[in-house]
Amino acid sequence: MKRKLIHHLFRALTGLCALASCAILAGIVASIVMRGWSALNWDFFTQQIALVGASGGIFYNVIGTLILLATAFVVCTPLALGFSIVHSVYLRDSHWRGKLTLLLYLLNGVPSILFGIVGMVIFVQVLGWGKSWLAGGILLGLMILPTVSVTLIERIGSLPIKYTEAAIGLGLRKSQIIRSVILPQSIGGLITGLMLGLARAAGETAPIMFTATIFAGASIPGGIKESPVLSLPYHIFILAQDSYDPAVKAKLWGSALVLIILVLGLSLVALPARLKIHEEANHA
Amino acid sequence: MTRSALNPSCRRWSITLILSWLFTGVALAAVVGGLGLLLIESAPAWKHSGFEFVIGKKWFFRQSEFGAAPMIYGSIIVAILAMILAAPVGIGAAIFGVEYLPRKWRLGLKVTVELLAGIPSVVYGLLGILLLRNWIYEVFQDFDPLSGDTLLTAGVLLGLMILPTIMTLADDALRGVPGTLRLAARGLGLTATETALHVSVPQAFPGLLAAVLLALGRAMGETIAVFLVIGRQDNQWPSSILSLKPLLESGQTLTSKLGGSETNIAYGQPLHWGAIMGLGLVLLSLVVIITLTGAWLQRISFRQHQQHS
Amino acid sequence: MLEPILQTSELSVSAGSKKILNPVSLDIPEGGVFGIIGPSGAGKSTFLKSINRLTELSNGLKVSGQVYHRGDPVYGVGVDTDNLRSRIGMLFQQPVVFPCSILANTLFGVRHLGKVPRKEWNNVAEKALREAALWEEVKDRLKKPGQQLSVGQQQRLCLARTLATGTDVILMDEPTSALDPRSTEAIEGLILDLKETHTIVLVTHNMRQTERVCRTVAFIGLRDKVGTMLATGKLTDLQTKCCEIPELEDYLCCELTEPIPKAKAC
Ligand SMILES: Nc1ncnc2c1ncn2[C@@H]1O[C@H](COP(=O)(O)OP(=O)(O)OP(=O)(O)O)[C@@H](O)[C@H]1O
Ligand SMILES: [Mg+2]
Repeated sequence: MKRKLIHHLFRALTGLCALASCAILAGIVASIVMRGWSALNWDFFTQQIALVGASGGIFYNVIGTLILLATAFVVCTPLALGFSIVHSVYLRDSHWRGKLTLLLYLLNGVPSILFGIVGMVIFVQVLGWGKSWLAGGILLGLMILPTVSVTLIERIGSLPIKYTEAAIGLGLRKSQIIRSVILPQSIGGLITGLMLGLARAAGETAPIMFTATIFAGASIPGGIKESPVLSLPYHIFILAQDSYDPAVKAKLWGSALVLIILVLGLSLVALPARLKIHEEANHA
Repeated sequence: MTRSALNPSCRRWSITLILSWLFTGVALAAVVGGLGLLLIESAPAWKHSGFEFVIGKKWFFRQSEFGAAPMIYGSIIVAILAMILAAPVGIGAAIFGVEYLPRKWRLGLKVTVELLAGIPSVVYGLLGILLLRNWIYEVFQDFDPLSGDTLLTAGVLLGLMILPTIMTLADDALRGVPGTLRLAARGLGLTATETALHVSVPQAFPGLLAAVLLALGRAMGETIAVFLVIGRQDNQWPSSILSLKPLLESGQTLTSKLGGSETNIAYGQPLHWGAIMGLGLVLLSLVVIITLTGAWLQRISFRQHQQHS
Repeated sequence: MLEPILQTSELSVSAGSKKILNPVSLDIPEGGVFGIIGPSGAGKSTFLKSINRLTELSNGLKVSGQVYHRGDPVYGVGVDTDNLRSRIGMLFQQPVVFPCSILANTLFGVRHLGKVPRKEWNNVAEKALREAALWEEVKDRLKKPGQQLSVGQQQRLCLARTLATGTDVILMDEPTSALDPRSTEAIEGLILDLKETHTIVLVTHNMRQTERVCRTVAFIGLRDKVGTMLATGKLTDLQTKCCEIPELEDYLCCELTEPIPKAKAC
C-alpha cells in the first residue's frame, strides 16, 4: 500500500507542476487582458503616440513592428531555404551536416542583445545607416534563422523516402528533385517555422533597440539611412521604465495586450503543426 | 556521397544549387563576421586589462577601470536561481505529460507550455516591473531590501521565462525512451510512478540534463526582462559567495549592462567600446560553452536510445 | 484443474470505431501450455495483452467483456492492476533488457514489488535464473550489463525476471520468433519444464512448437477483417476441423513448411 501511496503522491506532485505551468500562462494572459482591455478602442489603433505615451495611440508602433516583421520575413526565407537544402540534400551524407546542425544550435543560443550590439557596429556605425528599419529587419531575420531552419529541416527529414526515390527513378537531377519534390512537399514546414520565428521576432527588443527603433517621432520610413521606425516592444520597454503615471500605465497594458495578441495569435496558428512535424521527425 | 552522385550529369551547375549554397554562405558569413567583429573590437580592452578584465571587481569607465567579475557573478547567480526554480517544475510537468497523460492531452499541455514560451520578454519585464517587484519587496520586507529591484526578482522572472524551454526539452528527452522498456516494467507489475522513476528518468537522464543546460544558456542571454527588474547597480560583489544576502540587493548582469545606456556612450572611445564588446564576448563564451555541453549530452542521450531500439 | 485459472467472457477489443477482436469466451485450465495461433494481424498479441490489462498502456485500445483470474474479475473498479500484472507475467517477442546488470535485471520486479524481504533477494535471483536455465551461464558475471548477453540469453533473462516476481501465469508473445534454432530449442525445453508449475499462454507461429509443447490450442482468424476466435481444442482436433473453417485451412496450409500428415488427410 505504501507503493500505491507513493504512486498517487508523485502523480499528484507532477500534475501540480503541469497545472502550475498552465496556470502561469493563464495568469499572465488574464492579468494583461484585464488591465489592458479598457485601453483598446478605435483611437488607440489609429492615433499617433502623444504626451510621451500618456495619450494617443500606437498606430505607428504597430506599423513599425509590421515593417520589421515583413523585412525579417524577406531576409529569413531565402537564408532558411538555402541553409536547409544544403543541410539536408547537398550535405546529406557528409560529416559537415552535423557541424551545420551544431551551428544552428549555437546560433539559436546566441543572446539577442549580441545581435543588437554587433548590428550597431555594422549598420549604425560602419555602414553609417544610423537607426534604420532595414538593419532591424536583417538582424531579426538572422535571429530567427535557427527556428525556421530547424522546422524546415525536420520536415524535409520526415518526407517519405519513396518520393525522392521515385523522383530519382524518373532520372531527375538533384536540383530538379529539390524543386519538384522536396520544396512543394515541405512548404508547410517553412510556413510553420516562419510564423513561429516571426512570433518570436515580434516581441524582441534587444536586437532592435540600438539599431532600428526609437520611442517617438517616426512614421513610415522613406529610405534606408536615418530612417528608424517605432515598434511595439520598444514602446513597452521605454514606458515600463517610467510607469508611475496612471495614464501611461493604462496605455502600457493596452500595448502589451496588442503585442501578446499578435504573438500568441501567430504561435497558436503554427504550434500544433510545428509539434506534429517535430514528433514525426524525432519519435517516429 | 555515392559515386553516382559525383558523376558529371548529376553535378551540373543549376540555379538551385548556386542559390542554396549562396544563401548558406551568407548565413555563415554573418555568423563568422559577427564573431570576428566581437574579437577585433574588444581587443583594446584585452590589451588594456588582460585577464583582469574577467576577474576584476571594479568597473569605472571614467577611470578606465574595467572589471567584469560582478556582472559575470550576476549573470551566473540569476541564471542558477532561475534554474533552481524552473527545473523541478518543468521536469515534473514533462514527466506528468509523458508518463501519465494520454497522447492527446500531452500535446495540449505541450502547446500550452510552448505558448508560454512565445510571450515576449518585454512583457515578462513589464509584469516584473509592475507586479513581481512590489510583491518581492513586500514578502521579503523582514530582510530590509532597498527596493524590489533585486537579483532575486530577476531570478524568479527568468525562472518563469525558461520554464517552457525546460519542459519542452525534457518532454523530448522522456519521449525518446523506448516504449518497450516502459511496457516491460509495467508488465512486471511496477506502478506508473515506479516505471517513471526507475526506468524513464534514468534512461532520459542525459537528455534531462541537456534540457537544464540549454535553458541555463537561455537564461544567461536574456536581456530585456532582467534589465527592467535587476536595478542595474554596478560593482556589486558579494562579501561571501555563499551568502544569500546579495540576492535581495540590486545587481548587474552582463546582458543588463550591454542593454544599458553605456553602450550608446561608449562607441567612439576605442577602450570603453572595447570593454563593452569584451562583455559581449564573455557572455557569448559562457553561453556557447553551456549550449555545447547541452547539445553534446543530447546527442549521447539520442545515441543511447537508438542503440536500444 | 476443476476451475480454469483464466476465463475470458465476451472479451472484445476495439480501437476507436474499428473492431480488432470479436468477443472471445474461453477457459484456460490451470497448468500446462495453452497455445494461440492465427495469421498476422489477427489480434493475438492484443488478446494476450488484454488478459493482464497491458492494453490500457497502448493508446486508443478499448476492451469490453471480462476476464477472471482464479475466479476474480480482472476488469472493474478497485482492481489493483499492478498487483495483477505481477501475478500474470508477460514475455515479449523481442527481449526487453533494462540497462543495468544481470542481477539487477532479474530482481527488477522483485525489488519494487516489496513482497520479498531484501535478504532473500539473492536466493530469489538464483532460483529464478536456475528455473530459466541461465544460472550456469551467468553465475560468474551477475554484475555485468544484461545487454551484453546474446539475444537468446536475454530472452531467458526476461523469463527469469518474470519468474522471480512469483507469477503463476506467464503470457508469452512469440517468445522464440527473434531467436536462432538453438535458443528456440532451449526456450521450448524451458516451457516444457515450467508447465509443471506454471500456466503458460503461448502465442506462436511455429506449428512444430505448437505440436511439441501445447496441450490445447485456440485459433484466432480474421473474419471480415476482425479477429475472431474460430476454434479451440487439441491441435489434432483443429486439423480435422480444417474443412469446416476456411480461415483455418488457409492458415495451416501457409504456415506449414512440412505438412503434418493428418492435415493432408483432411
Ligand atoms: N493501439 C492500437 N491502435 C489501433 N490499432 C491497433 C493497436 N494495436 C493493434 N492494433 C491493430 O490490431 C490488429 C491486431 O494486432 P496484433 O498485434 O494483436 O496482431 P497479431 O495477431 O499479434 O499479429 P502478429 O502475428 O503479426 O504479431 C492489427 O490490425 C493492428 O493494426
Ligand atoms: Mg503479435
